[in-house]
Amino acid sequence: MSTFVVLYYTALIGASCLAAYYEKRSVFMLIFSLTLVSFVLGIIGGVGALRFVALSAGLLALAAGTAYAFREFLIQISKPNLAKELRTAPLTAAFGMFVIFTYAIAGIFAPWIAPHGEAEVIGQAFQPPDANMLLGADQLGRDMFSRIIYGARNSVGLALIATLLAFLMGTMAGLFAAVKGGWFDQVMGRVADVIMSVPSLIFALLMLSIFGTGLHVIVVVVAVIYSPRVFRLTRAVAGNIVVMDFIEAAKLRGEKDWYLIRREILPNATAPLIAEFGLEFCFVFLLIAGLSFLGLGIQPPTADWGSMVRENATLISFGDITPLIPAGAIALLTVAVNFVVDWMLFRTSGLKEQ
Amino acid sequence: MGDLSRLVLKRLGFGLLTILVVSVLIFFAVELLPGDIAQAVLGQGATEETVAAMREQLGLDRPAPVRYFEWLFGAIQGDFGVSLVSGERVSAAISGRFVNTLFLASYAAVIAVPISILLGVFTALYRNTIFDRVANVATLSTISSPEFFLGYILILFLAIRAAAFPAISSISGDMSLVDLLYRTFLPMLTLVLVVTAHMMRMTRAAIINLLASPYIEMARLKGTPPWKVIVKHALPNAWAPIINVVALNLAYLVTGVVLVEVVFVYPGIGQLLVDAVAKRDFPVVQACCLIFAATFILLNLSADVGAILTNPRLRHPK
Repeated sequence: MSTFVVLYYTALIGASCLAAYYEKRSVFMLIFSLTLVSFVLGIIGGVGALRFVALSAGLLALAAGTAYAFREFLIQISKPNLAKELRTAPLTAAFGMFVIFTYAIAGIFAPWIAPHGEAEVIGQAFQPPDANMLLGADQLGRDMFSRIIYGARNSVGLALIATLLAFLMGTMAGLFAAVKGGWFDQVMGRVADVIMSVPSLIFALLMLSIFGTGLHVIVVVVAVIYSPRVFRLTRAVAGNIVVMDFIEAAKLRGEKDWYLIRREILPNATAPLIAEFGLEFCFVFLLIAGLSFLGLGIQPPTADWGSMVRENATLISFGDITPLIPAGAIALLTVAVNFVVDWMLFRTSGLKEQ
Repeated sequence: MGDLSRLVLKRLGFGLLTILVVSVLIFFAVELLPGDIAQAVLGQGATEETVAAMREQLGLDRPAPVRYFEWLFGAIQGDFGVSLVSGERVSAAISGRFVNTLFLASYAAVIAVPISILLGVFTALYRNTIFDRVANVATLSTISSPEFFLGYILILFLAIRAAAFPAISSISGDMSLVDLLYRTFLPMLTLVLVVTAHMMRMTRAAIINLLASPYIEMARLKGTPPWKVIVKHALPNAWAPIINVVALNLAYLVTGVVLVEVVFVYPGIGQLLVDAVAKRDFPVVQACCLIFAATFILLNLSADVGAILTNPRLRHPK
């Protein structure tokens, strides 16, 4: 029995007693079941497993603390109306916002944050971490840390542009289809059906094999693949709005289609569309990361998380976790966006009673 | 019943039509190449004669619609032409790998489907408890992770640090089933993690939707025991959404398999597709895309047909 194990169980049992005393039932159940699980884990995995549990619990607590502080910060700096909304945000959503904020800072100020250039060879291949290179060097001797920072700009930036394009195409087509109806609506609907009937990764691979792997090609192809989702949602939301009386009134006033879309329909459709934008971004981001991982996305020497994983994958067979960091960065951002979207959907829709 | 079979046949016909349209898309997308296939494959440096010879060999001098129908009828009979790079028949390269991919996908499906449906029902029953919240965050994180991230984490912990399973799933035909299952364990686990998360969330949503309906409340109010409410009242109506969820996720498996095969160097059709895309070997790309798309469409189709069969209300569209 090391001191660590003694401390570990003391902390857990003490915490569960406290929770039970203050009648926090769910907290007590969580902590005490963790204690019971730890008995089994400790027997199977030894001290290492317990250390892992303690570390994850610590990280979780840290994340929760950060999220709480960040939410308070946002509430303090925003206007009263917005602050009221923010107060209802769960910690997960606050954590998501914090992560998105961090990524935005890293992406925008990449050249100032990163100690070295993204394509600058400064050491030997796979050089271990030191004071100069925080995470060591990659397969060509470039600084891993700097490339991850630059990756925030390149990978996220590209996904953002593709999402914006997909969104523009999807919403425009959806709004016009809803307003015009008739054959235009039918044709757009069928086109969307066909595109959605092919798996997105397969479609992207087909198109990239034909048009090559330029950045503009990726953006357009990914936008075309994901715009039908936006189209369907917009069409459904706008379809419910066009049958309202105020649209009828606007039509009788002699307003043009463009005015109807801009002034009458869009303001009523923003909430679901913003949530959809978040979800869409996740899909696009994961697709582009997958393509880069397959070597068909952003081309070297541009730093990009997907291709970084592929290039440094050999390190994993030596038990090194460095190649997992860019992959983890992808996962973290997607989780963060999902958390925020979850909260937004919860806020704007009737999901509350569930 | 005549009504029912007509509805199913109509849906099947619609699915076939979709596959046909997608095949047109796959074939004519390659026609969009600047120049033509011969020029694209041989590159800028090729002489006029070699390009002409290749055109001759591929039969590019004939009009595209004629070649499309030849390609389509060949594909129906399992003949996808000749690979541009290796010169061997595409069908020969694909057939063995396709079986491997199907093996991996069904291995994952057999394990993922029961687990995720059970977990989905449990999270729906115990919704808004700690168990549900933890499951929600865990599944959300799995869905948000790229497949290669999960794959490499599993390799790192189960293949390198613990050395329990092989990191590279090299398989050959003469292995015993147990050996095959052992060697493909890590790719299977990766797929299971991703698909289970999706399936669980969808099952949970479907069941919650169901439990909110008035007739369940009625059953509860008249004092039916909870297990009976689930088994007798909720489950018969839950089959439709659950079948739908399973079929949709199997369709999802089809795409997920590509990345996982690359991570684990598994000799499947996804790996072949990725290689062919990098080499611009169009007949192979077209063949793989057609197979993937057809499987995807057929699974989505079976989701619809399953829903029609289990939900009588869908048989009488208003």
